[in-house]
Amino acid sequence: MGRIEFHQVSKRFLSGLDALQDISASFDAGSMTFLTGHSGAGKTTFLKLLLCLDRPTGGQILVNDVNVTQIRESRLPFYRQQMGVVFQDHHLLSHRTIFENVSLPLRVTGLRPRDIGRRVRAALSAVGLLKRERFYPNQLSTGEQQRVGIARAVVARPRILLADEPTGNLDPELSADIMNLFLQFNQVGTTVIIASHDRALIDQMGKRIMELSHGQIIKDVS
Amino acid sequence: MKEPRKARDPWPRKRQGPLAWIRDHIRVATEASHFLSARLAASLVVWLLVGIALALPAGLFLLQVSLSGLTQVWDGRPGVSLYFDLGAENITTVADELRGLSEVDSVTVVTQEQALEEFQRHSGVSDALALLEANPLPASIRATMSPGASLEDLEALALRMRAGAGVSEVVVEKTWLQRVNDISVVVRRLGLILGALFGIGAVLVTTTSVRLAIESRLEELRVLKLVGATAGQMRRPFIYFGALYGIGGGIVAAMLLSLALIAIETPLADLLGSYDRDLELAGFDPIFILWLLGIGGGLGVTGALIAVRQRVSTLEIF
Repeated sequence: MGRIEFHQVSKRFLSGLDALQDISASFDAGSMTFLTGHSGAGKTTFLKLLLCLDRPTGGQILVNDVNVTQIRESRLPFYRQQMGVVFQDHHLLSHRTIFENVSLPLRVTGLRPRDIGRRVRAALSAVGLLKRERFYPNQLSTGEQQRVGIARAVVARPRILLADEPTGNLDPELSADIMNLFLQFNQVGTTVIIASHDRALIDQMGKRIMELSHGQIIKDVS
Repeated sequence: MKEPRKARDPWPRKRQGPLAWIRDHIRVATEASHFLSARLAASLVVWLLVGIALALPAGLFLLQVSLSGLTQVWDGRPGVSLYFDLGAENITTVADELRGLSEVDSVTVVTQEQALEEFQRHSGVSDALALLEANPLPASIRATMSPGASLEDLEALALRMRAGAGVSEVVVEKTWLQRVNDISVVVRRLGLILGALFGIGAVLVTTTSVRLAIESRLEELRVLKLVGATAGQMRRPFIYFGALYGIGGGIVAAMLLSLALIAIETPLADLLGSYDRDLELAGFDPIFILWLLGIGGGLGVTGALIAVRQRVSTLEIF
């Protein structure tokens, strides 16, 4: 589970800008890939299409052999429940505690409160923040906030974990810590795709690197 | 390129159990209550606006119910009273004629002697009347119309009786009832028109308030959409906001109406007293208040649905 295929995927915005042009690539289940490229290269569009937050203007995207571009709108939430997403700016809710933030993906599945508590604490433990569950996001450091974001992304045990510039605001040491967390989740079988322009950090990880430029893949190194 | 595959549904809709559903509703309702109470000043303004919008048509409804009640108290049906010349001898004949008419329900004959006795009993001038050589009061007949009789029937009967021998005066007892009925119809229609207009106003107030609530929680909505919340789950808190705004407005409307009723009770009693009627403000009972809360809640939910449909469906995540 967690295999992804892009077949000649294109995305042209109404402005006429080609964000992606004939992208074809596959990502094995349990693989870890870095998407890199300059700003505007198409990395975020790539992730948005995979999350079905936008529809491609051409081609198809297969997840576990199913063309997700044709999933009905009413079914999309259940598709997204299988994905975990991490952002550069965390998107944590400032008026909710760390526990409440991390529990959001479980709450929408209707899990019992007891099970939610158990799984949230497991996720917080995995990112080293178990003792901060009653804190609010603004009481944590930037690195800790990013860890909370990762805990929220993995708490529902997604098949696929996507990250958009997850280390963009962090210093090199914290960035390495965060990447190691992604590596840990990848090692238990989660397909991980990370969009990042931090080439030095990406090179250290020794994983597949796919470089985009002007909506096209210009380099794909395993 | 491969042929496009027909999409299967590997991520089918997962139905939540009833317990999970109830649990989520309780949690959302609690959070919505906290949200509104944390912004009490703004919530009070919304409740007041919705309350005023509900109170006016509801007040007109109560007025119309009370007016209808008054006409029923009056005995429900119009009639005619015939006053005869002094010494007229055809009273029984006329009474029998009236009894034979299908549009007449009942006939009451008051002879000169009965009229005098009644007058003596009520006026307290029996000594003075005893000094009179002859009874000055006329004999009369009161005919009450049948339930199905129309005002035209009543007028036709009065016309016919006026032409009868020995009849000095015919009093048609419809004017007061007709006026009340006409006022009642006007009040009801006015209530419906104002109800529709103010109902739209209440919906607009709720829509605007819920839209503001949505704007203040956009970040949460974005995250919820991203983690797989269904449209229903995203709408739910705002539906509760709308319902609470509407129900709160209903409570305010009930309070305003009870204040208004207290304020008009005395002058209205005086007015009705002049028509020899007792004050009976009908309709303002627990059932009416429940209706008021229900209508308020319904309008609030409608406003919330409009706001949610406009804003949530176009939500951009990143």
